[in-house]
Amino acid sequence: MTVQSGYHRYHIETRFTPDLIPPPPRFRVRVRKLRLIGLVLKELIEFRGHVRVALSRPCVYGVFSRPVGGLAPKEELCVGCLRCTVQYPEVVQICPNPERLRLGDSYLKPEYVDTILYEARTGRVPVRGAGYRGPFGGDGWDGMWTDMSEIVRPTRDGIHGREFISTAVDIGEKPSFLTFDAAGHPIGPTPRVLSIQVPFVLDVPPPGRRLRVLAEIFAEAARQLETLAILPVEVVVRFSLGGPHVMPLVRAETWPLLEKLPESPRIVALAGWDPDRYRALRARFPESLVAVRVPMDADLEPMVRTGVRVFHLTADYHGYAGRRFAIELIQQAHRQLVDMGLREEVTLIGSGGIVMAEHVPKAIICGLDAVALDTALWVALQARFDGECVEPAPAAVTFPRLKTAWGVQRLKNLVNAWRDQLLEVLGAMGLREVRRLRGEVGRCMFQRDLEREAFAGIEGFGE
Amino acid sequence: MQVPLTTVDMRIVEKHRAALHRGFHVWPTLAFDRPPAMGDARWTADLILATWYQAETGRPPDNGLEYRVGASGGGFDVLDFKFLPKEKWLPEDEPIDTSIPLNRRPYDRRIEIPVPWYGAGMSFGSVSEQIMLARAKAAQMWRTFTCTGEGGYPDSLTPYKDHVITQIATGMFGVREETILRAPIVEFKYAQGAKPGLGGHLLGDKATVAVAKMRESVPWVSLFSPFPFHSVYSVEDHKKHIDWVKAIHPEALISVKVSTPTDIDMVAVGSYYAGAHIIHIDGGYGGTGAAPEIAKKNIAMPIELALPKVHRFLIQEGIRDEVVLMASGGIRTAYDIAKAIALGADGVVLGTTELVALGCTRCSNCERGRGCPFGLTTTDPELSELVDPDWGAERLSRLYASFQLQLRDILRRLGLRSVRELRGRTDLLVYRKT
Ligand code: SF4
Repeated sequence: MTVQSGYHRYHIETRFTPDLIPPPPRFRVRVRKLRLIGLVLKELIEFRGHVRVALSRPCVYGVFSRPVGGLAPKEELCVGCLRCTVQYPEVVQICPNPERLRLGDSYLKPEYVDTILYEARTGRVPVRGAGYRGPFGGDGWDGMWTDMSEIVRPTRDGIHGREFISTAVDIGEKPSFLTFDAAGHPIGPTPRVLSIQVPFVLDVPPPGRRLRVLAEIFAEAARQLETLAILPVEVVVRFSLGGPHVMPLVRAETWPLLEKLPESPRIVALAGWDPDRYRALRARFPESLVAVRVPMDADLEPMVRTGVRVFHLTADYHGYAGRRFAIELIQQAHRQLVDMGLREEVTLIGSGGIVMAEHVPKAIICGLDAVALDTALWVALQARFDGECVEPAPAAVTFPRLKTAWGVQRLKNLVNAWRDQLLEVLGAMGLREVRRLRGEVGRCMFQRDLEREAFAGIEGFGE
Repeated sequence: MQVPLTTVDMRIVEKHRAALHRGFHVWPTLAFDRPPAMGDARWTADLILATWYQAETGRPPDNGLEYRVGASGGGFDVLDFKFLPKEKWLPEDEPIDTSIPLNRRPYDRRIEIPVPWYGAGMSFGSVSEQIMLARAKAAQMWRTFTCTGEGGYPDSLTPYKDHVITQIATGMFGVREETILRAPIVEFKYAQGAKPGLGGHLLGDKATVAVAKMRESVPWVSLFSPFPFHSVYSVEDHKKHIDWVKAIHPEALISVKVSTPTDIDMVAVGSYYAGAHIIHIDGGYGGTGAAPEIAKKNIAMPIELALPKVHRFLIQEGIRDEVVLMASGGIRTAYDIAKAIALGADGVVLGTTELVALGCTRCSNCERGRGCPFGLTTTDPELSELVDPDWGAERLSRLYASFQLQLRDILRRLGLRSVRELRGRTDLLVYRKT
């Protein structure tokens, strides 16, 4: 007998999806051509009768391959290993390509762009050799390390498939207890949640020429990823993009468009805090969850007292709200809810400055239930930033001409790569589900605390 | 199948080997001309070239290359020593002891090494046999150790067995009774700094016939070392592991290699009570093999922050002088060695530094295509011939000589007669963050 449980194991289908526009090569290969010709002639004489020996080149990646070898090096193949320049310092020089500095901006750095493009192309976890190359710590997310456990942790197997690590999170209203009337029927609030399979939702795409295709890509990717795409209500209406995976976002100016929504959404978001509109929204969509989108430094208490149970806390694209960084603000919001005794009842989604896979577990450790992804998604779709991309309006980005299927696959690849990296982090800690990571600051280490402990008493420290 | 190299192939190798050796010599002498694409915050171009220089000359560079610190903006790079005024330095002819014991327990075999470092585990498969040999030869010359890593024990290392640590890791690859019996020190690798909590992964391309045979696996199939040891769920289980090795080889000293979680101090104490002679903590910023980028930078703490925590906790527990604390994961220079010891280690374990001495440019392409283009982290038959074990051993030996020279100089300027006196002396450090 077949048991129809409706259960399916969550899986993201990845597929190699090449870039539409090749990113600038990482390196410039500068060859002194006359010296090269001289070298070849010298080696032809030295290895008389052994043309293969004389013509064999140092590069194992094919940069100096046919038809004309070093006279027209294939820069796009160069990985910067420096073997050629170590062997022939007088002939070839490898330089970082200055064009790459134009990728991303001061927050979403060129190396982040590289990583995101790799993830969006392949769906795979970036792996490289030779240890860590960056600064010791730093501001923001770089000043935080996640924990691991040496022993007692069977969940590591989850990464190789034997055991399951859940990345699902619940968004919604989760009362701490139920109340019943004399007849045993529940009265008062009952749990109303929707589950998404990854702790990422897709935040509003930037307005502009490509808005329609972007919105289609986001909505379809959210459907296939079993998560949510937050889309302005005017976009939902204009491009007929309803469905259970779309979360319309309504502002005061777009309020009248609610009439035109093709169906009741599973969840709808209100931009900014307005108690009257919040109540009106709940009344209009009694079956729907209602989220409130407010800046990350907002005081949540009055909203929670009014009954708000789902928040989308926003920082700017560099992770700041009111001059404070997301790490501090998320912890503040989380603690405020803990102090109110309501943390378990409320869902916190956060966005802004979460641009690398490692930022996700760190943001969750600080107190989020889920993150909303923004600029990283745009980079996956090969957006170019025009200067600094800090504020949503106007977001300074340009997209190439996009095809929906290509874009959906790129986002699926990116989300898969990030989910796999989340599994790595959870596995290292021995956690079986991402829900257990929320607010667990004991599972991370802050640079400032560790340094205070390690370097206390060393002359010059803390001065 | 691996095909033996033809004469023409060998001539190609020889041509490139000669050109590479020339390059290793020339680059560090071009004092104001660094390869523009070389280096990063941790390993600056200067540090790489200075290491090449030391591997060639046996002394630190005097041509302006910065050979002491990198540019990471933290940890070792912002620590310096509070040297005594010159008139208080120890005289040049005063002997300064750089040796450390590897067993501080009142029982079991005494092993002392003349320098406070040995070589880190790098498995057969992740590096070539030539590299393993070069390291073993250097270890023998210096009466210190190198470590097999977890890929088994190639027979070619047997002549150097008194200087080879056998590693037992979660994959148990190549672990056999005779290799345990051969080893003066057996190292249990619980975790490694480059990928804390993630186990190991050898890509199929590197699992050649020879590698697979050694690991008793199938050629060209990727190999995973799981995480953690599935037989260890407590300190008692951990002790069982140690007892198992001691039952096979009662003479062996036991090292336990762990990463740096927030409770690293408790882990160290647990290992001590389980019977380890050496606790080897591997910070998150080192590692020679390929690792997910997310793991390298984000999971577990850097060694500079873990060392004082462990050292002080072992003191509080009253067991500091019964256990040897070795540190690894980002030790690049003689100054890093001295700083790690001042932060609380007895000695250090060198990995990347040795590969840099052998020509690594830290390009991070170890796993790409045929593997390391310099013949280090590869099993490609042609590329691995780029490193001749004797040449490699000489380079490592000269690097060690330079490190010892500098270490003695540091101790002399601090007024210390033995490296053992430096341990835990954070009062001799100064923090200089710009
Ligand atoms: S740096 Fe390496 S990859 Fe680039 S051209 Fe030179 S040898 Fe080839």
